[in-house]
Amino acid sequence: MTVLLEMRNIHKTYPNGTIANRGVHLEVHEGEIHALVGENGAGKSTLMKILFGLEAPTSGEVYYKGSPVHFQGPRDAIKHGLGMVHQHFMLASSLTVSENIVLGDEPRKGPFGLFRDRGKEIQDIQSLVDRFGLKLDPNAVVEYISVGQKQRVEIMKVLYRGAKLIILDEPTAVLTPQETDELFDSLKTLVAQKYTIIFITHKLREVMEISNRITVLKAGQTIHTMLTKDTNKEEISRLMVGRDVLLRVEKKEQVLKETVLELRDVHANDAKGFPMLKDVSLAIRGGEIFGIAGVEGNGQRELVEVITGLIGATGGQVLYFNENILGKSIGQIRNMKIAHIPEDRQTTGACLTSTIEENLILDVYDHPEFRFGPFLRKKKLKEFAKVMMTTFDVRAASEETLAGSLSGGNLQKVVIAREIAKNPKLIIASQPTRGVDIGAIESIHREIVKRRDQGAAVLLVSAELSEIMSLSDRIGVLYNGELVAILNNTDDLTEQEIGYYMLGIKKAEKEVVPRES
Amino acid sequence: MNHKRFLYLDVIGIAASIVLAVVVGFIIIMMVSDEPLQAISSFLLGPFSTPFNLSTVFNKAVPLIFTGLALAVVFQSNVFSMGAEGQLYVGGFTGALAAAYIPGLPVWIHLPVILLCALAGGAMFGAIPGFLKSKWNANEIVTTLMLNYVGIISTSYLVNNWFKDPGSGGFARMQYFEKNLLLRKISDSFPVHYGFFIALLSVVVISVMLYKTRLGYELRLVGKNEAFARYGGIKTKRLIIYSVMISGALAGLGGIVEILGVHGTYKDNFSANLGFDGIIIALLARNNPVAVVIAALFYAYLQVGGQIMQAESDVSRELAVIIQVLLVLFVSAQAVFNYFKQRAVLKHSQSHATKGGKKDHVA
Repeated sequence: MTVLLEMRNIHKTYPNGTIANRGVHLEVHEGEIHALVGENGAGKSTLMKILFGLEAPTSGEVYYKGSPVHFQGPRDAIKHGLGMVHQHFMLASSLTVSENIVLGDEPRKGPFGLFRDRGKEIQDIQSLVDRFGLKLDPNAVVEYISVGQKQRVEIMKVLYRGAKLIILDEPTAVLTPQETDELFDSLKTLVAQKYTIIFITHKLREVMEISNRITVLKAGQTIHTMLTKDTNKEEISRLMVGRDVLLRVEKKEQVLKETVLELRDVHANDAKGFPMLKDVSLAIRGGEIFGIAGVEGNGQRELVEVITGLIGATGGQVLYFNENILGKSIGQIRNMKIAHIPEDRQTTGACLTSTIEENLILDVYDHPEFRFGPFLRKKKLKEFAKVMMTTFDVRAASEETLAGSLSGGNLQKVVIAREIAKNPKLIIASQPTRGVDIGAIESIHREIVKRRDQGAAVLLVSAELSEIMSLSDRIGVLYNGELVAILNNTDDLTEQEIGYYMLGIKKAEKEVVPRES
Repeated sequence: MNHKRFLYLDVIGIAASIVLAVVVGFIIIMMVSDEPLQAISSFLLGPFSTPFNLSTVFNKAVPLIFTGLALAVVFQSNVFSMGAEGQLYVGGFTGALAAAYIPGLPVWIHLPVILLCALAGGAMFGAIPGFLKSKWNANEIVTTLMLNYVGIISTSYLVNNWFKDPGSGGFARMQYFEKNLLLRKISDSFPVHYGFFIALLSVVVISVMLYKTRLGYELRLVGKNEAFARYGGIKTKRLIIYSVMISGALAGLGGIVEILGVHGTYKDNFSANLGFDGIIIALLARNNPVAVVIAALFYAYLQVGGQIMQAESDVSRELAVIIQVLLVLFVSAQAVFNYFKQRAVLKHSQSHATKGGKKDHVA
């Protein structure tokens, strides 16, 4: 095996004081799939940005094909045969697949290359499609193709530019199980043809399935590099977190209570006025976790925002203990013991430039016990914040620490502490463990299940099917704004089965939602 | 990381900008002046040379504290108001009307009434762009800049045509107020008017408001992250209106204090950019109410130094303006701070890395 890429002793400190890398080593062999794993905030993304020339390292060297390199930017890196597929797609949605692939690097003809050579373009792309077995219609408009296909376009983009080393940043985060399988097939085809792949992820199942070697990062340092066949999930997670973690969630026998939340024929539009929720009806009872599965962008966000009052509905009713809460203000809804863990904690769930304390007191600062007229009782609030930090194991120097300097998991604990502390009867949890390390995932799951066991109703929205399946009592699948199925989460329910509903291949008979049983 | 740990770096950064601006200013003085040492010493030491000069620094700082405070408040709520100038005129004008045309009140009632009228005038005028922003999302930079013209020119029209004292001649002004309404001086040898204490009181009130009250918490939250504030149930649009009203009230108060402390009546064009200088003050002070006092005093010191330099040497006071401008340039260039911060953080991280040690690494 020849060493294709070596990164030695990489350090990176951002101007805001965040230390992302403190001595990372990475060695990638030609023709392998190298998994780069680590909790969020372990420094994976920063390392790849440095490799790709998007960030300059504070110190350290990069060797590519044996010689030291220092890429000035993505363009430079691409010229040397590197390619990066970002977690968030960077495609022009109104252009066709082929236009997206060649964008900025079009084959040209005519005097001074004034005109695009469409014939050669289609020919080039077709030959790539044939060579790697990536099924794509070059003339399809990107807006209308599926997420899996969009990802293939991204991969084609880097192949077209002649990349030999391809970096995939959390590529499966947005894919259904079927699409993930197809992606893995494509990756195997690529590796068979001497391409090299760096696969960034925190999903251990995928690491075991696809990679040849694994490098584990933790807190900005390389912990270990090993052969995949010599290790197992438990060892990797121990290296990532520093201890063995329980990957199973223990749930008590279900005790159902009265109906807490009921949606009747709810319709809603997104910000552009495009209908995103169609005729959604469901009922959740106390002591129940209702999971919402679905490929992202199929109405999950609107569902959560309608219930929490952030957007209005265009039709239907949202009943909370039989009271219609549509039209109530966000503040009123928050005061009705409804907790909302929003999907985006960086912008909505927390204020990064405020202190932990200021984030924690959001619901209590105007309660009479924390106020004296218009004045805040600062001491009491501080005390409150301290207690919350201990109770929910938020690890930070003090309550005065800026929320923005916390790791993903710790920040999410702040959000959850605030939301759970009001003893909610209904918990709306949207992507509660996205970008959170395994240790924190475990404690967040335990908290949600604990609340269910105590009789709260939980609406759990997650792009992680495994999370939905391990926590939920019942599962609803959103496809294209419709609730296409409501399934009991029995032992014989498989990911594949749900996947079919998520892709819109299968649709359940419109069932009458049981109101009272 | 504790947010206080790197605060001193901010201070060092600002200090470095100041030194840099002054050094560049001196280099220019060296080039243009035949007596550079005289010029520099007048500029730097002149403001301290007599109690009178020093009192001028304080008096000049007073309106700057008000406008700086006014802008610090709106900036903290993430509204980029440029409207302090217009609000200062309108507030000053409404206050002056109360001073000149409400007869027969005892001073201890009349003076608070005047101040309240100024506060109200500034607040009402300040509310307009806030209302436009929250109702139709009108860009506040544009609306406040335009409304400045409305405020400045309409008050000018009113004082020239309706409320002009017949004896005022070329420079339109209202009739002089009764002497007992004017703000007194500390002493004849150190004639700082009591407006300085009103300014300090305002700083205390605003600090308490921002950091110790429910309103302040909500206001700062809206400024830092509007989506988060909204998600938390805070009525963000209403708060933005409150914030611009508080800002307008402060600017208006600054106007009337300047009138009562310095001019003795409402004079056309009395402000000369106090509202715009307030933007620089807020910028220098990083929107911190207490730092506003220091920034305003420093800014006034530069102005007075420039005047003394002009009187005592062959360098004109425009040079002080150059230094002010450079200062704004350096302070707004975040890169200066970031450079210092990065270096300190780097040292911090390197010491950590060597302590932590490297883990083994398998090829």
